[in-house]
Amino acid sequence: MIHNYLLLSIILFCLGIVGVISRRNVFTVFMSIELMLNAANLAFVAFSRFHENMDGHVLAMMVMAVAAAEAALALAVVILLHKHKSKLDTNVFSLLKG
Amino acid sequence: MNCWPPKVHLPKKSTKKGALDIMFADGLFLTFAVLAVIGAVGLVLFRHPMNGAMSFVITLISLAGLYALLSAKLIFALQLIVYAGAIMSLIIFIIMFLNIQPDDLPKEETKLLYILGSIIVVLPIGLFLVKIVKSLPITSVEFMDNNFGGVKEVGLLLFKDWLVPFEIVSILLLVSLIGAVILAGKRGTSK
Repeated sequence: MIHNYLLLSIILFCLGIVGVISRRNVFTVFMSIELMLNAANLAFVAFSRFHENMDGHVLAMMVMAVAAAEAALALAVVILLHKHKSKLDTNVFSLLKG
Repeated sequence: MNCWPPKVHLPKKSTKKGALDIMFADGLFLTFAVLAVIGAVGLVLFRHPMNGAMSFVITLISLAGLYALLSAKLIFALQLIVYAGAIMSLIIFIIMFLNIQPDDLPKEETKLLYILGSIIVVLPIGLFLVKIVKSLPITSVEFMDNNFGGVKEVGLLLFKDWLVPFEIVSILLLVSLIGAVILAGKRGTSK
């Protein structure tokens, strides 16, 4: 039944939000964002199956492309920050605080 | 395109084989869902990002299984190849490249408190979404026997109706490529 897929998607999305809010490790925060993208993908594919047209599949592919671009850029930024501060704590990265 | 309300499949007058198939699919769904949630909880709770990445891979692979259950064949393959293959190996490569020792990690003594607080914040949003989902009409999920979600059908849709967003995504990938080269190629003299 389609409701189960949507409920699973909600659970995964909420776990992603919890990870972003509560953790301070850069990698964990980043992977929690990826988890939220995956939950959105699951909802897209489930609704696509529900309506029996395939627009959701195309949208899921685009989300994957966005996630790939995001991963490349975010990891480059993490490497630069680690070079500067040699820490992985998001509380340390407050360069824009003014 | 057909839109709301979706076609409602009446469940077939169950031959024994059909009922068995549906039971098998339900079992698979339950397995994959439990594995996905366990992996996500592990991602949130593990202290070292390497352990978190490994449990996140479990989540991604079980999500691929769920896509297969939803008869999204192309997305199933892409999830395994692009997500669990490319993106996660990139992340794990970077985690290994930085050579993180346990005392480099941020000290999170109040982690459980923060997790509890964020659950309290997130819970109303989640319950609201659950209430929305409960109000949807009930359809049964059977395996689509035609070519739903195959490479040819999704490709045709992608290059007919979704051509402009596709091109925009290609520009996005180009921009991120240039950005990554500029960020990573910065030498000490240019500072």
